[in-house]
Amino acid sequence: MRTTLQYGLALIWLASGTDTLATPLPDTGQLHEHPDWLTLIHYQPNRYTEGYTSQADDSDFFLSEAGKHSPEAELQATLAAITAPGEGDSHARCRFPARDQWLREQLDLPHSDLQCPEYDDWKATLNTETVTLVFAASYLNSPSSMFGHTFIRLDPPQDDDEADLLLANTISYAADAAAHDSEILFAYKGIFGGYPGITSIKPYYEMVRLYSDIEHRDLWEYQLNLTQDEVDVMLAHAWELRDINFDYYFFDENCAYRLLALIDVARPGADLLAEVSTHAIPSDTVRWVVDKELVEEVKYRPSAATTVTYSLDNLPAAHQTLAAAVANGYVAVDADEVRRLPARERAHLLDATYDYVRYQSEADAWPREHAAPLSHELLRTRSQIDGVAAPEKPPQPDVRDDQGHDTLRFSVAGGRMGDRNFSQLTLRPAYHDVLDPPAGYRGGAQLQFLRLDARYYTDNDELQMEQIVGVEIRSLSPRNQFFSPLSWQVGFGGRRTDIETDRVFTPYLEGGAGGSWMLGASVQAFALATADLEIDDDLSKGYDAAPGADLGLLHQNNRFSLLAGVKTKAWIVGNQHRQDQLYTKAGWHFGRDFSLFGEFTREDHYDRYRTTWQLGLHAYF
Amino acid sequence: MKKLIAGAILLGASSMAFAQPGCGVGAMIWKGQSGVAPHVLAATTNGTFGNQTFGMTTGTLGCQTNQAVQSMAMYMDSNIDKVARDMSRGSGENLDTLAVLLGVEEADRDSFRQILQDNFATIFPNSETTSGEAVDAIVALLEKDEALSRYVAA
Repeated sequence: MRTTLQYGLALIWLASGTDTLATPLPDTGQLHEHPDWLTLIHYQPNRYTEGYTSQADDSDFFLSEAGKHSPEAELQATLAAITAPGEGDSHARCRFPARDQWLREQLDLPHSDLQCPEYDDWKATLNTETVTLVFAASYLNSPSSMFGHTFIRLDPPQDDDEADLLLANTISYAADAAAHDSEILFAYKGIFGGYPGITSIKPYYEMVRLYSDIEHRDLWEYQLNLTQDEVDVMLAHAWELRDINFDYYFFDENCAYRLLALIDVARPGADLLAEVSTHAIPSDTVRWVVDKELVEEVKYRPSAATTVTYSLDNLPAAHQTLAAAVANGYVAVDADEVRRLPARERAHLLDATYDYVRYQSEADAWPREHAAPLSHELLRTRSQIDGVAAPEKPPQPDVRDDQGHDTLRFSVAGGRMGDRNFSQLTLRPAYHDVLDPPAGYRGGAQLQFLRLDARYYTDNDELQMEQIVGVEIRSLSPRNQFFSPLSWQVGFGGRRTDIETDRVFTPYLEGGAGGSWMLGASVQAFALATADLEIDDDLSKGYDAAPGADLGLLHQNNRFSLLAGVKTKAWIVGNQHRQDQLYTKAGWHFGRDFSLFGEFTREDHYDRYRTTWQLGLHAYF
Repeated sequence: MKKLIAGAILLGASSMAFAQPGCGVGAMIWKGQSGVAPHVLAATTNGTFGNQTFGMTTGTLGCQTNQAVQSMAMYMDSNIDKVARDMSRGSGENLDTLAVLLGVEEADRDSFRQILQDNFATIFPNSETTSGEAVDAIVALLEKDEALSRYVAA
């Protein structure tokens, strides 16, 4: 660290030479290259040229006009501004308290007291002792939420009986989408830029309502081990970021990324942003925070959906049927079957039924005319039972989301297609498929991005791209007497497809919908109607489409996963023909880092049978 | 400290049109969450839609001068169904939060919870009850209780 030495020397010179404030501004040496300064102004090294650029996209964040690209100019301007006479909320010291504090420490400037009424009020209101990183896990039947979401909670001191975490404030960063934009436009701008990102402060109970009650996402609370000084620096910097725009990008500069930057400011040297390469998946960012030993304690807050499922599961079978009947209005709340239950069991039945009615009203839009009077009746009846505690909360899962397998997967395999041998390499940047180790992920959910399968055929030394998965989402959610979710899948990309004489690479779009049912504890059966579309000039009409069906079984446990079934497709546009397939795919899991996998398919296509199999190893990074 | 809590809630609600806390009809219980169904893509890209705010209505009923009661009214306005649920069970974190907002001391919390559970049908007489009505009923109940009346004194 040559620079450290240089500004160190500068400091010694300063300490010996500056006795009065009247001295001209101290020489700052190479201080503008100090990592803390670069972090405070959100500078990142330019990718192709020398120098730095700040990620802040807002002139209000810079005191120098050249600040966006010049750490040095910004530091000089900041130093001039914070040592300028004047006072009050608009003074640079009040607008940028974190920079002010840091520069004063580095340059040994006197900490003269300054009144910043707005900032002081804000800080007093937030009343923060510790900081908790909250991770909203993916929700039931929505693999597209698999990336998760993170925000920060500012916890008040816990030593008095007026502390309440639901009232604690949270800081989050999100795209500020215009209300009238469609979801498609939202997705486009979210991914490619175009929305401003804003920092917002909301009470935790609102976040709980949004994520836990409405979106059915479990929340994981990671209390960070920041000291009070570090917490204060984080708050001072959060104050600097108020209303400052950072353009929002879905893959990298997203919610999780900005929070990492905030933690970096609080804990010098944590350097969490250095972990980000091409994308910052919130669940990955949680792993980094855990790996850097920033976490003191982890708590679990099950969502409304998790809670209701658990309370229903805990009812004896006969009471489950009764709960379903009461919820649907077939049996009155004050019916004999309910009234003759012992107090404790009656309370549990009423509690679970109420939670279920609320869940269905929000998730399945039960009409208010049915749900509201019934809800009232359930609660009124329940309020007459004293001394029975609220139902037990679902236990914390053994494996947290951040303890599941890493999301980047690299695979090598060897196999045989018909009479040709091949080796296959696969790279999948994100995220999870149903045959990966399931711990820490939702069962039956799959989300893959940008998976590349390359095959090398040994007989003629030919290298072929077998498949490129753009996006593939699959959700197999079991139905039962209480819940009837749709199982569905959608995907697009490019794949090798049979035309009678050859296998050609064609773009494809596929989708499907149907149902899934549990057969025992960890096996589900599913039936999906599917549709496939392929577009390529090698196809006889330029494109082809196939309605079809996919029937199968899925078993997932921490040691072994199995997917087996039959698929049939009827190609209807070009050369009309059937394509029938029997498939079995399995994974043997060795901890969270490796899986052995095997695949076997037997296919009848163009009146010929062909067997393909492969065996290989997945490694997760 | 109570002032701070009220302030904290106000801070959170600052982006919403909200005239005078504790001074309104409030949200009707189980009014539903129309328009806030999860947006699949919004969830994927972790964005917020500007129109996804929670229904808050204001009127001119039962203005409260006690700051703690105002805080409770605000909390009830956005959490009325969960408060009602916990009240019927006589326990739960939303009930604890009400106690914190009213400044109910640890020693009085059991009787606070019990009185609310026992009087559920008074606080929520029907399925059209609004948070404003529920707050007024809670205040009236506590005022009649010797130990708890001091928490809602104007």
